Amino acid sequence: MNMQNAPDIRELSYAEAIREAMDIALGSDERVVLMGEDIGVYGGAFQVTGDLIDKYGPDRVMDTPISELGGAGVAVGAAMTGLRPIFEFQFSDFATLAMEQIVNQAAKIRFMLGGAVSVPLVMRFPAGSGTGAAAQHSQSIEAWLGHVPGLKVIQPSTPEDAKGMLLAALEDPDPVMIFEHKILYKMRGPVPEGHYTIPIGKAAVRREGKDLTIVATSLMVHKALAAADDLAQNGIDAEVIDLRTIRPMDRDTVLASVRKTGRLICVYEGVKTLGVGAEISAMVAESDAFDYLDAPIFRLGGAESPIPYNPELEKAVVPQVPDILNAATELAQGRL
Amino acid sequence: MPVEVIMPKVDMDMARGTVAAWHVEPGATVAKGDPLFDIETDKAAMEVEAQADGILHHPAPEGTEVAIGQPVAWLYAEGEEVGDAPAVSAPEAQPEPEEPAETTVSEPVSPPSPTENIRATPRARTLARDANIDLATLTGSGPRGRIQAEDVPQAREEVPATFTAQTGALHVMRSKGTGTPLVLIHGFASDSMSWKPLEAHLKNRALIRIDLPCHGKSPNMRVGSFADLVKTVRQTFDDLHLDAAHVIGHSLGGAVALALADTRPRSIASLTLIAPAGLGPDINEAALAGIARATKPESLAPWLKTLVHDESLINDGYARAAMKTRLDPHMRAAQAALAHAVFPDGTQAFDLKAALHRVSMPTRLIWGRSDKIIPWQHALTAPGPVALHLFEATGHLPQFERAEGIGKLLQSAL
Repeated sequence: MNMQNAPDIRELSYAEAIREAMDIALGSDERVVLMGEDIGVYGGAFQVTGDLIDKYGPDRVMDTPISELGGAGVAVGAAMTGLRPIFEFQFSDFATLAMEQIVNQAAKIRFMLGGAVSVPLVMRFPAGSGTGAAAQHSQSIEAWLGHVPGLKVIQPSTPEDAKGMLLAALEDPDPVMIFEHKILYKMRGPVPEGHYTIPIGKAAVRREGKDLTIVATSLMVHKALAAADDLAQNGIDAEVIDLRTIRPMDRDTVLASVRKTGRLICVYEGVKTLGVGAEISAMVAESDAFDYLDAPIFRLGGAESPIPYNPELEKAVVPQVPDILNAATELAQGRL
Repeated sequence: MPVEVIMPKVDMDMARGTVAAWHVEPGATVAKGDPLFDIETDKAAMEVEAQADGILHHPAPEGTEVAIGQPVAWLYAEGEEVGDAPAVSAPEAQPEPEEPAETTVSEPVSPPSPTENIRATPRARTLARDANIDLATLTGSGPRGRIQAEDVPQAREEVPATFTAQTGALHVMRSKGTGTPLVLIHGFASDSMSWKPLEAHLKNRALIRIDLPCHGKSPNMRVGSFADLVKTVRQTFDDLHLDAAHVIGHSLGGAVALALADTRPRSIASLTLIAPAGLGPDINEAALAGIARATKPESLAPWLKTLVHDESLINDGYARAAMKTRLDPHMRAAQAALAHAVFPDGTQAFDLKAALHRVSMPTRLIWGRSDKIIPWQHALTAPGPVALHLFEATGHLPQFERAEGIGKLLQSAL
């Protein structure tokens, strides 16, 4: 990671790291504006924007009306005409209301205008379950947007990545969708000072291992790492890859790991069927790494269910550490 | 013309099924949808319904295995003449006509070519192709006989006659817990993981496990003698800087624990020796050599069975898991060299009986009465103050076969 130029490491929460990235961007580039519902005076549904309105004023930290379609349309237009908007959805679930602007406009304008115009837009989506917010406020719909050519879709899993990847997204000439797991907002970790970027499209090997590969996204990276520690106690050495970007996917890192270990588990919170893990699995099956597989590929994803309100059921419908532990143990011992 | 009742394909991988039981007698009238017979495959049992109305004749005997698509009985219309069982209509792809239904076992409809029919992982196929090995000659250890990389002989390194001697500190694995820590020293050809069954009954205790040289994650050292071995472990023990510790050792690790207690009496609060070496000359050399030599689960399993009283504990999964920890040929060679140093000519070349009389901390011996590696009678050399716990129907691994009992014993004593 690009930490050479930023030696001062201190700990911030994931939400603070995002706010710091936006602060740096607002302070150094007058084209940057923040838009979203209740991000101004209230500070954002998850207090990510915080008090930035006090520092930069309501012209640059703009509250938008309760119309995701309208707000997203303004953001797309602002990006086309020279600004660098960062648009926040209160919940990623509400992206459904703005699909026209995201899918049909932001993703396609560069192509339809022959490259004459691009849409340098950043959208932020608080995502995922675990907060007791039920079916319409807990989904993981990153794979929906990952299906659209013209978009980049990222899922930072650490405070350091959250800041560095947001700053990288602002430098991108095309729309970048950032899915931030709500449970991660309070997670603390080292974050370099000042401006730095972490490249989009590059996965991170969070733990090296030789017995099997676990490719995980977002919050699942931390569950996979916890499972890997337990696996090590049982003599199973798991490699954990944090995918970080689901579009474009880091093929090289995943395939190199599978060639080494011969076994693959994909762990992701979105619905298992037709999800991120299906794409990873197919990518491996279609590549030369297929010849290195010594067991079937295993997916652990969200259940075929809306996220329930009951806290126990809410836990049951997404992969948990024991699920990863069981699957990895079975796989490593040649029982799957 | 009677209607054939065929063996249905109820599972992707199914080539044949067994007629487990008929629900109706020959000559009985059935209606479409009535339960007709039960079949069993290697994965499941299920009920098959009649696909047409009719009177049942010529059912295949219960227990008969039949290829899918082949008839198991015929349904006749009311008044239709019933003679011998009709000849089976040959499917188009059939190379030769099928035999009549009386045949107890029919061949699969179209026998696939041998390699197509073999279950093997892509990696195993790649390794076998590169090594020019016919998959058909291999036995798969995976689910339903799937050949995996570890089943391809050339995928394993041959045991080197020698090993490169390594140096460095012994591997120590600690678990947090309360009270005076328990220091665990495993036996020959084992490692710290072997304490797992016992650890389940030592909840909340601070544990420190030491991997002996050439074992587990410790370096493959050149160990010249038992004294050498003790010296290395003593260095590791000293580096832990413990004010007090309960030391527990098994087999060779028991001998090491006793020698350690003899020289570090002040920091060792108690001593637990499980089937320890060092108290007599005899030891099962063949078993030690067999375990050290084994390169695959099949050759390891028979020797592992000599370690226990209840051989059913050593199933395929256990042997496979045990072999997995012994795949490194350098480690195996290093262990063979260690065995040669401490057990030359199948004899325990060190005598710790005097040490057992010298140590003054509370000391207990735990032994299985069916130990086939080191005779339990070696325990009888112990002096009066040493407690002796003999477990019936238990082999050389009491901490595995009697984990709960020993766990309770230690929890109350330590």
